[in-house]
Amino acid sequence: MADSGNRASTVYHDAAKTLKGKITLDGVNVFYGPDQAIYNVSMVIPDRSVTAFIGPSGCGKSTILRTINRMNETIDIARTKGSIRIDGEEINSKAVDPVILRARVGMVFQKPNPFPKSIYDNVAYGPRIHGLASAKRDLDGIVETSLKKAGLWDEVADRLDQPGTGLSGGQQQRLVIARAIAVSPEVILMDEPCSALDPIATAKIEELIDELRENYCIVIVTHSMAQAARVSQMTAFFHMGDLVEYGPTEDIFTNPHEPRTQDYITGRFG
Amino acid sequence: MPINALILLMMLVLISAAFYVGRSRALRTADRESVSLHSLPNYHGYFVALWTGVPALLLMAAMAMFGPSLTGNVIELRLNQAAAPLIEDFDSRQSEDSLILSAQRTLEASADVNAATQARAALQNRRTAIAENIAASARENGASSLTLAGFEYANLPPERRGLFMNDARALAFNGQPSEITPAIEATASAFRPVDRFVRYGGAALAVLLAMAGLAWSRSRVKAGFRARNRVEAAFMGFLMVCSGIAILTTIGIVASLLFESLRFFEAINWRLDQFLFGTQWSPQTAIRADQVGQTGAFGAVPLFAGTFMITIIAILVAGPIGLFAAIYLSEYAGKRTRKIVKPVMEILAGIPTVVYGFFALLTVGPAIRAAAEFVGFESAVTQSALSAGLVMGVMIIPFVSSLSDDVINAVPQTLRDGAYAMGATKSETVKQVILPAALPGIVGAFLLAISRAVGETMIVVMAAGQGANLTANPLESVTTITVQIVMLLTGDQEFDSAKTLSAFALGLVLFIFTLALNVIALRVVQKYREKYD
Repeated sequence: MADSGNRASTVYHDAAKTLKGKITLDGVNVFYGPDQAIYNVSMVIPDRSVTAFIGPSGCGKSTILRTINRMNETIDIARTKGSIRIDGEEINSKAVDPVILRARVGMVFQKPNPFPKSIYDNVAYGPRIHGLASAKRDLDGIVETSLKKAGLWDEVADRLDQPGTGLSGGQQQRLVIARAIAVSPEVILMDEPCSALDPIATAKIEELIDELRENYCIVIVTHSMAQAARVSQMTAFFHMGDLVEYGPTEDIFTNPHEPRTQDYITGRFG
Repeated sequence: MPINALILLMMLVLISAAFYVGRSRALRTADRESVSLHSLPNYHGYFVALWTGVPALLLMAAMAMFGPSLTGNVIELRLNQAAAPLIEDFDSRQSEDSLILSAQRTLEASADVNAATQARAALQNRRTAIAENIAASARENGASSLTLAGFEYANLPPERRGLFMNDARALAFNGQPSEITPAIEATASAFRPVDRFVRYGGAALAVLLAMAGLAWSRSRVKAGFRARNRVEAAFMGFLMVCSGIAILTTIGIVASLLFESLRFFEAINWRLDQFLFGTQWSPQTAIRADQVGQTGAFGAVPLFAGTFMITIIAILVAGPIGLFAAIYLSEYAGKRTRKIVKPVMEILAGIPTVVYGFFALLTVGPAIRAAAEFVGFESAVTQSALSAGLVMGVMIIPFVSSLSDDVINAVPQTLRDGAYAMGATKSETVKQVILPAALPGIVGAFLLAISRAVGETMIVVMAAGQGANLTANPLESVTTITVQIVMLLTGDQEFDSAKTLSAFALGLVLFIFTLALNVIALRVVQKYREKYD
């Protein structure tokens, strides 16, 4: 613990230079009670691209993801230190209401978690609580666009009033993506979005992620290195709470600089 | 040491011996034939022990249960046999006696009450005289005391025979007989040998049965014998019997309720419509024909209405308070608050209902009356539906809160995360996501609380009054089904009047109602469980 300040993480900015930076993490440390989970992570995540966080279980990749929309605050004992900026604005400052922040930074979880409401109400949930649509017609429009963007519209257009929990796992996951899109976020965080899905549903989600990249800054945590290689432009490798290596996905997978990265992607541990 | 205790001890020795016999035989068999046993040696031991112990112990239990009545039957048989000539003599003299014949004729022909009563008395007197005559001559002829006792027993009215037997039994076994006559003494001395025979015979039979079980089951122990499966089947049987006892008890209770209710419906000439829809409840029936104002009206609607009103008031109190407390505890309260508040709330559930009754009667009732008078209701009373309902509501708060707390906690964390990640505040998450998800469980909690309130007795007995008023004013006193059952069955009662029997019909209605509520509640909760498992 004492040397946490000295454990500088390796950051490769080359790719970030060509792409516009969206999120900047600067010396981020996260603690759960007395235990430190993240050590001094600094990185720049580019806009309109997919950044993948990879690493073995318990390496802190989900924790660092959850700092970006301050979801760690819902855990009593979690504390975050350091600076996180979105478009240059510090999100950990007192002036930022986490409720408003989370409208800008959407999140998709490991297990599909549609609310026990109709498909329509699931998607309309965010716009309603944030007052994004004044008329029913506007809301209908938002729901339709969001479902279309999530590639689910054709499958559910005729049964919007049925419960979202009645859909298949892959459909549910696309529904919660539509739900996240509906509030027009700038960033979408995905925490292992395909781990509960079969390969066909996974392929659909990956395709969707690739399409969404045109309009959003997407950060995805994944256990599957193949998935990281398929969908992401940037990849960050975490190990034991350290950001070990960060760079363009191609470089990380073909020419890693760090021995630990090499060991992990060649399957020597993890 | 009493014989049965000795036998029981012997049985224990025999059973443990049987275990070792079975076990060692299994081991020896395996050794000699050098094959492997199907079951572990211990299972063979258990098998032999079970066959040794279970049938014999069952027999002993049966003897303990039915032995006394068996002895009684044997004694009765003996008495009848000993007195048979005298009884025959009595019957033949009775059928020839002119006085008796004429009295019987009068009894059959006469419609006049007085004449019939006289004839009955004459008949009884004459019979007693004949019986005394026969007994006296038998005594002179040196008949045995048992014969005389048997004759006396035969001439007792049927309802006195049980008492006679009990006295004889008490005299025989150091009890406290209500009286001692020569006949009872004779019977008592007949009791002792018969009882000894039944007791020792039963014991001997039990030992024999144990030996036979031991020998037979021992002969079955072979290498390939599936002792393990047998033993497990036996234990399954035991488990089944245990669950069966609970079910049989329930069936027994329902049956007794049902049969007594049927007797009540018979007493009111099957006017079920009057019972269920009648609006007047005054169960006092006339004992003499000239009593006025004792009509015996069994219209239960005022009771249903009273029960309904108090339950509604209670759930109006307990529902919101319990639910909001549960929401606070599960969603807002910190770990430490929760650790303190939850047990404190559950103390409420541990307060005896009679104490709630005091509270309602001495504190809440007068306060409500004072408040009502202040507002302008001059006729307010201390015992009112409102005070009973309020206090009952407080009583069921823990039911609602603790069950609701459980179902709210069962809502998966991922749903909360989903809502928070959408930028929902805590109260939006609770209102729009958690409560809808937990709703079926909460409904179940409410239904269970209602069925609890409907069946609650002590608070309403003390705080709601007893007048069967049909009213919609919660400041008046009302009565409930449970209160009436208590009123009808406490004190000295005959169990054959419509008044007391009506309590069982009320109990049946209550039972059906709470059963239906419980079934619905369990269904609802179950449906909810399926969703998240």
